[in-house]
Amino acid sequence: MSVTIYTTNTCPWCDKTKEYLRANGVSYNEINVAKNKEAAMAMIQKSGQRAVPVLDVDGSIIIGFDKSRLDKLFNIR
Amino acid sequence: MDKDIKDLDLLILGGGPAGLTAAMYGARAKLELLLIENQMVGGQVRSSYTIENYPGFKTIEGSKLAEFMKDQALELGVKIDEFDKILKVTLSHNEKLIETEKFIYRPKALIISTGGAPKKLPIPNENNFSGKGIHYCAVCDGAVYEDCTLGVVGGGNSALEEALFLTKFASKVIMIRRYDYFKGEKATLENLLKHPKVEVLYNWDLVDVKGDMFVNKAMIKNTKTGEEKEICLDAVFGYIGNEPKTDLFREYIELNNEGYILTDANMETNIKGVYAAGDVREKVFRQITTAVADGTIAALAAEKYIADKKIY
Repeated sequence: MSVTIYTTNTCPWCDKTKEYLRANGVSYNEINVAKNKEAAMAMIQKSGQRAVPVLDVDGSIIIGFDKSRLDKLFNIR
Repeated sequence: MDKDIKDLDLLILGGGPAGLTAAMYGARAKLELLLIENQMVGGQVRSSYTIENYPGFKTIEGSKLAEFMKDQALELGVKIDEFDKILKVTLSHNEKLIETEKFIYRPKALIISTGGAPKKLPIPNENNFSGKGIHYCAVCDGAVYEDCTLGVVGGGNSALEEALFLTKFASKVIMIRRYDYFKGEKATLENLLKHPKVEVLYNWDLVDVKGDMFVNKAMIKNTKTGEEKEICLDAVFGYIGNEPKTDLFREYIELNNEGYILTDANMETNIKGVYAAGDVREKVFRQITTAVADGTIAALAAEKYIADKKIY
């Protein structure tokens, strides 16, 4: 499974999402969109909005810390 | 599936400054306790850029202060569950039951420190542009607006501080203020007013936002003359106050008209052994310092309540 998380430096929900992924053994690739306009545009295009975090899990887009969707996608109980 | 029932001395709902302080005092009193926070440990502090009115720190990032508080609690042995969610509570003088996704907790005493959530901007297009130019967390989403023009609505400390934070990214920050004054601290206001990127629109209120996929205009109305006009901007950050997170407790706990929990001077609610602390409580001043004070009192009162219960 390919997991990318788009973040900014100071975003608390990004930290929480990463912590949840780590706690459940999910490895991810992090892209910081602050000061990286290209990455920011990619994130905006994928998610259709501008809030972080955004997760791209094999093409499925999750906006914000959405525990129930993460639980389903990664089979977390 | 039947859930396990867990007995403990003290359950604390909410991990902002009030809840974390209560947890520290509870841990030092050797109470068996758990703190549940399914949102952000540190609460609103965690998403404040800088704090300059908490004693001991001339200036500190909110996220750092939150981490310090959390670390201190953890070092004292406080257990924090950050990923469980409260589904239902049943509260009486004799028994307190808190059902979460994982367990049913039956604590001898309960401290409610769930705090508040930001009020949404009362404009017709709020929902349509949520995350697309309507935001409530500058430290989260501000960096996505590099070189953009941003509006900030509100007049309290949060509005002033977060507007200053947004100047790091934005080319311009427009304060949309419905009155001709701000309520926040004068020291922060002075910094904001002299900032070259900041423009203040006194006596203008946000009526709505417009755009295609993302916000590109705000409609504003002059509160004195009634004149309406459009201004170009890329996003609006709302800081128009908070509302208490008390829906779960409404059935049992006495609230005021705005939904804040009523307590006595010892933070006790209308139910014995149930306390409220921090922003969720009815009071005039909601500061980190007052939240910490509430948490202290609630924990000490809960400790006494639990000790008395063990004797009789």
